[in-house]
Amino acid sequence: MSSAYDFPGGIHPPQRKQRSNQAALIEAPLPKRVVLPLQQHSGQPATPCVVLGDVVKVGSVVAKREGMISSDLHATISGTVGEISATHITIEGDGQDEWQRLPHLDWQSAAHEALLTRLSESGIVGLGGAGFPSHIKARVVERHAIHTLVINAAECEPYITADDLTLRHYPAEVLEGAQIIAKLCGAPHIIIGIEDNKPEAIEALQRELQHDQTNSQPVPVELTVIATRYPSGGERQLIKKLLDLDVPSGGLPADVGVLCHNPGTLLAILQAVRDGQPLISRIVTLTGDAIAQPGNRWVRLGTSVKELLEQAGLNPSGLHQVIQGGPMMGSPLLSLDTPVTKLTNCLIAATIDELPAPPAESPCIRCGECESVCPVALLPQQLHWYARAQDDAKLARYHLFDCIECGACSYVCPSHIPLVVDYRDAKSRIRLQRIEAAKAEYAKHRFEFRQARLAREEAEKQARREARQAQQRRMSTSAAASSDTVDLRGLRIAHAAAKASVKKAEKTLARVAQEDPKQSLDDLEMQLATAQENLRAAELQLAQAREQQSSKESP
Amino acid sequence: MSDTFSAINIISAVAVLTGLGIGFGALLGVVSERFKREDNPLVEQIDALLPQTQCGQCGYPGCRPYAEAINQGDALNKCPPGGEATIHALANLLGREAEPLDGEAQSEAKVAFIREAECIGCTKCIQACPVDAIIGAAKLMHTVIEDECTGCDLCLDPCPIDCIDMLPRSTPLTQWQPAIMPSSHVIVSDRISASGGVHVERL
Repeated sequence: MSSAYDFPGGIHPPQRKQRSNQAALIEAPLPKRVVLPLQQHSGQPATPCVVLGDVVKVGSVVAKREGMISSDLHATISGTVGEISATHITIEGDGQDEWQRLPHLDWQSAAHEALLTRLSESGIVGLGGAGFPSHIKARVVERHAIHTLVINAAECEPYITADDLTLRHYPAEVLEGAQIIAKLCGAPHIIIGIEDNKPEAIEALQRELQHDQTNSQPVPVELTVIATRYPSGGERQLIKKLLDLDVPSGGLPADVGVLCHNPGTLLAILQAVRDGQPLISRIVTLTGDAIAQPGNRWVRLGTSVKELLEQAGLNPSGLHQVIQGGPMMGSPLLSLDTPVTKLTNCLIAATIDELPAPPAESPCIRCGECESVCPVALLPQQLHWYARAQDDAKLARYHLFDCIECGACSYVCPSHIPLVVDYRDAKSRIRLQRIEAAKAEYAKHRFEFRQARLAREEAEKQARREARQAQQRRMSTSAAASSDTVDLRGLRIAHAAAKASVKKAEKTLARVAQEDPKQSLDDLEMQLATAQENLRAAELQLAQAREQQSSKESP
Repeated sequence: MSDTFSAINIISAVAVLTGLGIGFGALLGVVSERFKREDNPLVEQIDALLPQTQCGQCGYPGCRPYAEAINQGDALNKCPPGGEATIHALANLLGREAEPLDGEAQSEAKVAFIREAECIGCTKCIQACPVDAIIGAAKLMHTVIEDECTGCDLCLDPCPIDCIDMLPRSTPLTQWQPAIMPSSHVIVSDRISASGGVHVERL
């Protein structure tokens, strides 16, 4: 079954998947030592909750999530905590592999809250690459109605076969995991999008779906096989291809009622719910011409990349570079002493012939090839000029932030211009500018708050002084009327304005909190506090003025 | 007959126009009272361009007072933390000539750091901090919240034992910036030497 819709552009790079999809999925040997970075997900890094020398089991929480978008981190081997630094926790293994599991949860009868809590405390994040915490993603229904859950099994990048092997070995588990998510987000429909270069996985899924029809699944599942073309595994591209829906610029798939999940994530979700097993291992593709036994492995998170590649028969003399991720979007590792994280889906140990260094960059000849392959229908050539010229206004107008960094433009560029590098640089530069601007704004609000607080304190002091004087006057009964006339009307207006600004700040705070509960409200709270300080000062001044007025009239 | 008719015409026309005039006049009056803006929007725009360090190096107590002063015609070049970039942005906004910076430009963003072992807990720096970025109490050690510090230097002078240093701000990994390489050639016809050769074959 093929889809009638399509996204623009795309390329057909050599697949090179045979190297890793022939061998069976096996467990990698238990590492003696694991290094767990505190940030293996998008958002805030986790905070360590163990101390040096603590004895941990597989699945013990070693770092807690911090802030809204963050994820728990678990020990992936049993042993003792050997080192805690600002960026990672090291665990020295005892070789026992003792487990600590959470209780079994029956997802069909469990409450939504219980399932969400389970996802959160199991540290599940999207294993496709972005690492977005799954419990936050499941909360999307609070603001969007979801009509379709898409299982993104396209796996369009060359070399990578982790999802392929996941589906071949665990089709039933992935489908059950999808049912859990469908239940959580109330999706009445599930679509699996898979490229036609994975016949075994397609067959396994079809068999499982036929089997399922007899013992009816709660939500109907549809399998859609699409033609192989890079980057059909991009979230937006897949949604366009399967459902003919366009995710708006700057928006999320949830804006058009779709949720996308990777098969690996769904498997991890099922394991967390059914078996009470937190995210402590993942399937990693080991491939490239510099290793002797390529294939997919179940790897404990935190295992050293070097150890893993050596176990797969690394030939150090032939090794040119190791790429984490795919050859199109992945990044070369500068050192092999890095750990496997929740986001490591593939390690390519490439020889120099396999992935040669790109030839020297030549000037752009304005051939327009990049424009014809861009899957987002951007103008890569224009973006290239503006990125190099640091023309941020133009970059915004040409929608730089819609670029998915798929690398199709760099791939076809006859001048070998590293276009995506330019876009990444420009994006991070603009992001930093935004952070700086937000910081300046925040500093301004803190300054205003301080001014307001000082004004309030001054007003309070004044009020106390006046009260003391009034007392003395009453004692001596000498009507030494103050000569200054009180501007009661002006004060009343100031008071009303202060009251209005408090109300406005409260309203803004409530609105923003409701619109986007994930974002930090510190700044708005500061503005509200400022307005309240101003109101208090105005109240004091007004009360004092009234006092004066009445004392002047009464005697 | 025709005279009375035209008289009525004239009177009604005058009455209608007068009525319209009064009506619209009242409407404008009400609207201008109702939607009156106390603040000057230009000052807001100027303030948004200033770096908000609240350091007072311009001679005004904070960024906003300086923004008001600029609006009144003060020079644009009194903001060292903003540097040339701010001067150019302000000159652009106001259509004025950009002048060279009056004072020393800051090479990098700095934050205050209290050598805590030496701090005697006098609270003088806390009172000086324009953004409440220093915490501590009398006779207890003080410390600077790095994220909130704007690097204004205002805490340095009040410190009786000089235990405050200005250190470069630490950058989290997520804000790492790539080194920007200047591109040597912009368009193909700009190339002077053809030694490199142009790669036109497809991959």
